[in-house]
Amino acid sequence: MKDKRIDHAGAAAAFIADAPHLAFHDERLWDMRQKRDAQMHLLPEWQELRTLASQIKEHALANLPDYLEQFEQNATRNGIHVHWARDGAEHNRIVAEILQARGATTLIKSKSMVTEECDMRPYLAARGITVTETDLGERIQQLDDQLPSHIVVPAVHKLTGDVARVFATHYGTDPNADDPRQLAEAQRQAARPVILHADAGMTGANFAVAETGTFVVCTNEGNADLSATVPGVHIATLGIERLVPRMSDLGVFVRMLSRSALGSPITQYTTHFRGPQDGGEMHVILVDNGRSARLGMADFWTSLKCIRCGACMNTCPVYRRSGGLSYGAVYSGPIGAIIDPTFNERKYSTLPFASTLNGSCTNVCPVRIDIHDQLYKWRRVLVDHHQMPFVKREIMHMAGRLMGQPRLYRAAIAGTETALGTLPRFALYNWLNPWGRHRELPHPVKETFHGWYRRNRANDGPGDSGKAGPEQAKDTGR
Amino acid sequence: MNARDTILDALRRNRPDPASHPLPPPVMLGDLDAGQARFVAGLRLLGGDLLERAPGEPLAAAIARRFPDARLICSAVPGVDGAVPVQDLPNAQAADPVDVAVVRAAFGIAETGSIFLSEAQLHLNALAHLAQHLVVLLDPAQLTANLHTAYQRPEFRTARYGVLMSGPSATADIQGVLIRGAQGVRSLSVCFDSL
Repeated sequence: MKDKRIDHAGAAAAFIADAPHLAFHDERLWDMRQKRDAQMHLLPEWQELRTLASQIKEHALANLPDYLEQFEQNATRNGIHVHWARDGAEHNRIVAEILQARGATTLIKSKSMVTEECDMRPYLAARGITVTETDLGERIQQLDDQLPSHIVVPAVHKLTGDVARVFATHYGTDPNADDPRQLAEAQRQAARPVILHADAGMTGANFAVAETGTFVVCTNEGNADLSATVPGVHIATLGIERLVPRMSDLGVFVRMLSRSALGSPITQYTTHFRGPQDGGEMHVILVDNGRSARLGMADFWTSLKCIRCGACMNTCPVYRRSGGLSYGAVYSGPIGAIIDPTFNERKYSTLPFASTLNGSCTNVCPVRIDIHDQLYKWRRVLVDHHQMPFVKREIMHMAGRLMGQPRLYRAAIAGTETALGTLPRFALYNWLNPWGRHRELPHPVKETFHGWYRRNRANDGPGDSGKAGPEQAKDTGR
Repeated sequence: MNARDTILDALRRNRPDPASHPLPPPVMLGDLDAGQARFVAGLRLLGGDLLERAPGEPLAAAIARRFPDARLICSAVPGVDGAVPVQDLPNAQAADPVDVAVVRAAFGIAETGSIFLSEAQLHLNALAHLAQHLVVLLDPAQLTANLHTAYQRPEFRTARYGVLMSGPSATADIQGVLIRGAQGVRSLSVCFDSL
């Protein structure tokens, strides 16, 4: 388990160095956030919807085994084959078995984060099955052999020229074509024959309804509906946390999903699958892959409420300026930073630190996940588990000792002011001071606040910081 | 233990106390206006359009006006002159050359300008996605206010395939440029038609 830590800061530095990509990425995601705000302001009931969504999800998670059984029973009654997968390997094996039993060698699929988690494509490729992503962004990422960089807009870190280069290599289009319309049309023309001749289709699912055995897929391009209705076999992969109890609950979630994600009132397609179409065959794979263990983590189980809208990513100043790929994980951004460590604590130990803890993610989350609190709690866990790089760990230990002893602290501060004023740059800005790599240290001051206070106010009454109780601290507005 | 029982067992061991997380009752929130004007505004916002007919104009003539270059029109509603009945298509692949598909929606949602189609209306589900353009007949009496009211409709409990389509297919995956007509239908036109 000695996986290398993701160098988020290093990858982000490379992203920032590319000014045109950085500027577009930042603006595009902020635009999505602003469109989300505009939609939110149109609905006076928005905050009530968020509260309801949170309560419904928490209830569903607390009763998940029962709702899963109810879903299975209803789906089976409707003619759906229900499968269970403990992890990615088991999921991939089930998919391969379904396909091989039917002699299927071509699979078209719409976007599914769970199949990314399971790393399904290479597994099927090794067994002679050609998998074609049909979502435009996901297809661009597949052709470019990259993970999706955003859970809703997988290729948002690319500019038109990047897409033109990828399509020129794989579709033989003009590498200088810089019209997005032309490129989207190239994808339509390339995908259509593959869709028509595919042996099987695959989708993910946004929601599953226990009381009816329905699963719901929310998309915009029409590729998921093509993947599900053109071939005779439809396989849907669902994380087990997608369950909601009742059909009426969908009203709450569908009203918020696309508004939170893209700032549109609803996705172009909201499709409800309750059974196979005439002459067709339908499979649902319920995937755990760490979710049941996460449910037992007192501080982190509510991350399972996530409906994958991406609002936390769009609003995050760190994500917007570092790009999804810098997280080195299937899930990026704030939500990624709190769920990735449950998959691999060491590998993703840097991600909860990729945040300013400003709380914007929490404020936009449609299911009220306390994302920034969980980021903070992960930092504590990672320190307790010794998942901090050596220099950061030692500096924190020293700082902790220093701040716990007022006398020592004051002496050190006085010394620091002298040092800041007199030491040459090479002594202040080096590998022992990663904080100073992108920041200027504060200007030295002639006198500390404590020194000034002792000189001017020490005799005015209670106030020596050593005696100050919590009441005084509150009164001063700290 | 098999995968199913392993997962259910782990969930039962790890879940938070169900008594602390009651299920809130179903809600009926937001604007309850189910009018045509609201529906049309929602439809247009998502890139859909209206197909308006002159008094007494047959549907086929209105379609010919909107799609003068259409060669193959396929209809899931009877009485569209010159259209191939969907029942004549032997399989999904046969819907690929269709230029214009004509269907009748079970209902529409005023909040979002969405229309609902299922196998009961389509007969061949892929028709609504492989065709280049979609013309949707909608009875204004079948408008419902919003998604809360929509999910009370019986169709969600009977259809095996049920899609809410809100405008045509769309993508903004290349440099954020919104393109209507991605992989599914390039346009979606609603024609109000009382039953």
